[in-house]
Amino acid sequence: MGSYRQQPGSGKGDQRRDGKRVAGKQVFPPPGSGGSDPEMRPRDLDFIPETVGGREPKPAGDHIHDRDRTGTAVGKPMALVDSNAKVTGQAWYGDDVRLQGEAIGKILRSPHHYARIKSIDTTRVEALPGVLAVATGEDAPNRFGVLPVTKDEHAMAVDKVRHVGDLVACVAAVDEATAIEALSLFDIEWELLEPVFDPKKGLEDHDEPIHWRGKYHLARTNVQKRVFQEFGDRSLVKTPNAASHGSWTMAGVHHGFTEPHAVVAHWDPNGRLQLYTPQQVPHYTHRALSTVLDVPMHQINVVRTFVGGGFGGKSDPFPHEMCAAILARKAGVPIRITFDREEVYWINRGRHPSHIDVKMTADNEGRISGFDIDALIDGGGFASFGHVTSYYNGVLATAPYELGSFHYTGARVWTNKPASGAMRGHGAVNTRCAVEVGLDEMAEQMAVDPIDLRLANLLPPHSRTISGFRITSNGMREALTRVREGSDWDNKFRQLPLGKGIGIGCGFFISGSGLPIHWDPKNFPHATVHIQVDMDGGVTVHTGAADIGQGSTTAVAQVVAEVLALPVEMIHVRSHESDTSPVDLGSYSSRVTFMNANAAIRAAIGIRDQLLKAAWEMLGYHPNVLVLNDRRIYYKHDPAVGVSYLQALHKAQEDTGALIARGAYRSPPMGGVHKGAAAGLAPAYSFSAYVAEVDVDVETGKVSCTNVWAAHDCGKALNPLAVRGQIIGSCHMGLGQVLSEKMVYGRTGHLQNANLLDYKIPSVHEMPHVEPIIVESSDPEGPFGAKEAGEGPLLPILPAVVNAVYDATGIRMRDLPLTPDVVYKAIEKHLKKHDIDDPLDLVPPTLTHAPLQEQLVERAKEHEIRDRLRQRSEDTSAYVNGVLFGFDPNRPLSEQVEGWREADEPLPEQLAELGFAGRAWLKKEQRHMEDDA
Amino acid sequence: MLMPPFELHHPSTVEEACALAATLMEQGQSFDWVAGGTDVLPNYKWRINPKPHVISLASISDAFTLSPSEIGCMVTLDTLVASEHAHPLLRQAAAKVASSLIRKSATVGGNLCLDTRCFWYNQSEDWRRSIDWCHKADCGTGADCRVIPNQNTLCVATYQGDLAPNFMVLNASVLIVGPNGERTVDVSSFYQLDGMKKNVLEEGEFLLKVMLPKDATQREGCYQKLRVRESWDFPEAGIAASWIPGKTDTLQIASTALESIPKEHSEQISQHLEENKGLIDVKTMAVSIQKSVKPVNNTALPPRYRRSMVKTLTKRALKGIMKED
Repeated sequence: MGSYRQQPGSGKGDQRRDGKRVAGKQVFPPPGSGGSDPEMRPRDLDFIPETVGGREPKPAGDHIHDRDRTGTAVGKPMALVDSNAKVTGQAWYGDDVRLQGEAIGKILRSPHHYARIKSIDTTRVEALPGVLAVATGEDAPNRFGVLPVTKDEHAMAVDKVRHVGDLVACVAAVDEATAIEALSLFDIEWELLEPVFDPKKGLEDHDEPIHWRGKYHLARTNVQKRVFQEFGDRSLVKTPNAASHGSWTMAGVHHGFTEPHAVVAHWDPNGRLQLYTPQQVPHYTHRALSTVLDVPMHQINVVRTFVGGGFGGKSDPFPHEMCAAILARKAGVPIRITFDREEVYWINRGRHPSHIDVKMTADNEGRISGFDIDALIDGGGFASFGHVTSYYNGVLATAPYELGSFHYTGARVWTNKPASGAMRGHGAVNTRCAVEVGLDEMAEQMAVDPIDLRLANLLPPHSRTISGFRITSNGMREALTRVREGSDWDNKFRQLPLGKGIGIGCGFFISGSGLPIHWDPKNFPHATVHIQVDMDGGVTVHTGAADIGQGSTTAVAQVVAEVLALPVEMIHVRSHESDTSPVDLGSYSSRVTFMNANAAIRAAIGIRDQLLKAAWEMLGYHPNVLVLNDRRIYYKHDPAVGVSYLQALHKAQEDTGALIARGAYRSPPMGGVHKGAAAGLAPAYSFSAYVAEVDVDVETGKVSCTNVWAAHDCGKALNPLAVRGQIIGSCHMGLGQVLSEKMVYGRTGHLQNANLLDYKIPSVHEMPHVEPIIVESSDPEGPFGAKEAGEGPLLPILPAVVNAVYDATGIRMRDLPLTPDVVYKAIEKHLKKHDIDDPLDLVPPTLTHAPLQEQLVERAKEHEIRDRLRQRSEDTSAYVNGVLFGFDPNRPLSEQVEGWREADEPLPEQLAELGFAGRAWLKKEQRHMEDDA
Repeated sequence: MLMPPFELHHPSTVEEACALAATLMEQGQSFDWVAGGTDVLPNYKWRINPKPHVISLASISDAFTLSPSEIGCMVTLDTLVASEHAHPLLRQAAAKVASSLIRKSATVGGNLCLDTRCFWYNQSEDWRRSIDWCHKADCGTGADCRVIPNQNTLCVATYQGDLAPNFMVLNASVLIVGPNGERTVDVSSFYQLDGMKKNVLEEGEFLLKVMLPKDATQREGCYQKLRVRESWDFPEAGIAASWIPGKTDTLQIASTALESIPKEHSEQISQHLEENKGLIDVKTMAVSIQKSVKPVNNTALPPRYRRSMVKTLTKRALKGIMKED
């Protein structure tokens, strides 16, 4: 079957008989127009939305980007564009960078939990042959930190060390052996200080707080951040129909990425710093380097190497990056520092060890009348992202359910341990687990199905949460329905024999943080993408988005390919260097696809419009009636009337040379005005629901997860293969946290398992069969409808497993991870309490539905209709949290009920009843203490 | 991680190896034997008692023997798992050691001579410095034991080899060679307290092969291993049991990963058989084994739990050999 040829100059009449070029005709060597196929492929109508004449179903209604679809790349499963480099071993990770004349840097680490450095004598180090440079805290006194509000880190300890493994000094030497030897030659005088390990103790006054925040310091405690938030009508919780109160202890977990941190620093002959580092957020490193080194940003080029896994653990600017730069400047040669696994654990930034107390209530109609969450989180030695984590532990629990009231107290304390930070599912994971297990417990008390309880309490699409978050697309209902069907839930729940269980859990996560940390979104966009197309036809895309394995480069390439109707191999994404990449906030808070791909679409439209204009000039048809398809632009009603992509491109280039365009993304104004309103605010949210099946060996306490049905609403799967990969990977990571992974701090406060043998990441044997289910709710503002799929899918696996363990044993467990000893202990306790001799005589729970069940099912059915209309914008009425409780969404809720409250500080009479973390509110900031004095 | 420098020797016969050991001893040089290296070398990288000389057994052909009655120290666990000559119990146990990748290098001799483990000890040099060292690797400081504080005379590091209890219940013995000749020792008396001494090997001696008695082939065995993950992990407790089916007086049970040496439980068995008139009551037998071990807190799971599990594991091992569910 023939088609229209793409190759300019390849048709008849381009060559003279004598072989010379026809005047005015440029002969391009193949493949010229891109790809090896000279024929135009037919339009792939299966991937063009039905709203614009294709066959791709759009159950959620039309989307603003539908008319930019060409059926080229979006929605098609494809291998990541950097996968060839990875599978052939050619990807260059941090430690693969080798520069001529490089030397090795090593870091001297603190042997003490908490100590003051009285003096450091480096004489013996410097005298060692082969040592090129030595640096200590004095060489870099400027503070830095990932968040501008909490800069509390130094390149190396200034005055004090704050945990075992904290950086004290560093040395550069001709080889690693010499550098290691040099570390033993530092003479340091220490003054030991009293360390704090227990976060509960961190709430108390201390002689020597780990950091000092001056007038903002909370008394003399180690509280880094405290949060209070209260919304809604608290009187609703007074006479509950069901109530769950759970006290959770969740161990700290680490990202466990494959590649240890590694950095190479080099001051080039012009005196500019070239820093190679596997960073998720190169821009923050760029800023921090400038601050610490006292060098303007334009004199620093941050080169992001391939990143061998990040998951949040490579998103802070790191002290070792500063050390490498300082040593390289002193030594005059490039310096490479590569971490041992132990050092990876010492720099940490993993999930916070947490004590979470959740009280939940439901009324007699099965509506959730209150969430009361208290989260005390252990921040370790530094602030890192902790300011945000302190909020996320509460506010990210305000959806997907409609709540009568919400009350949250949170506190993050400094302790003398490696710093906690951001990790996949940042701040939301632990509370989500607690809340979802609480729902399970309330469903049991009310004798209703926990899935129906959820279905009857969901916020609809295009609504507002109790805390003021703007929900746009919402695929929660579909996710729940599909896992219920997929898992055969109705025939299994509460019907399986002892030791076999099934459980449900849901998730809700941000798709990009609404506010850029370092600037006002009004002044500067979140993401910018530049595109350049030169005469060869290849499209070079410059972006600062950091591909950390999640496929952001592929996503950008796909959306550009889609808009321009070019094969993906013609799109070349350049994202490694800060010199050439527009400023981007990097890969965190699941923002990249949403923000970067949106910017890329805009830039690609800029190029497309230039091409269409040229084609208009050539063909005489207005762009409105021109079609882009596979390297060709033609008249809608007659494909024979057209020009090849390259012909249009060259026409467009006549006056300007290479085409360039740029696109930017900024989030719309949204959210409330209360203190902390920006935390958790996102332009879109992802939703997920998982059902997990487990086997529990009641005689040993060993839990194995066997099957998972995992539905995730990612808006639109730009690359379904990548989304499936993210879902399965998230399951693995979440299973680690719920079943085996923990950072163990022993009785002396030392991290006892800073290695991959004793830090137990699940192996392939522990991996269940995962059935990924992609839900597409088509987000109105997402690129082609897409939302995040990188973090949200982790959330539901934890509660799904914990609830399944209950289904298998009839025992509620609230200590994570559920290692065999923890489960066995709970079983033993239960046996003793119920006077049962043999664990094999345990009776698993059963369920006989109460009349309320029928009510919930009815309500869910009504809501399903409501949600469909809202999702398709056929119903555009206002909906805010509270409508389920009978409130009018068009009037302020505070006017409708006397007890309605929106508060970010406790009332004096509330102080006495606050939970553990809430006790931080009993203390005063120094500035107010001075007032009192 | 940088390997500390050492001189690697490759003797090609047992005699040459013994002569080399004798020479080094005369020179006052310390050394380690290495077979597969999966235990010694990671410890070296962590700078746990590295020595200036390492003698490899990999070139000694006698060390590779594998038959129903003899297993050389250099036989890899992977080979053992796949071998038709090896007793099914040994194949079962070997298949549970570490991961498939490690089993390609790890050897029978290395597993039997495994260094004892402890989370205060199997750590980097920086880490151990931060706890002021421990008794087992005190770096000349005379440091206390960190598991049982206020004493520096006994090391309670845990022996976490999988094969030893299985060889014990098959009544195996080992051939030890050294500069002063060779000797044969039962596996059940090969191990010797404490966690530092580990076994009866004297300086210069190494374990050349394991020998199984003829009736071992008649024995039915079962090995139960407690661990968090089905791969990689050392046992947190392990129980091996075997018997010649139907003959209660041939019952053997041995445990591992609970104390500094693996333990053979013939004492508990004979007492049990005496009390039960020659019959085996699985439950009470399991309880008596449980009572005879006393783990300490130095592995991944807490000692109280590990001890509780001895009962379950014993029960399952006994049911396994008796072919009961």
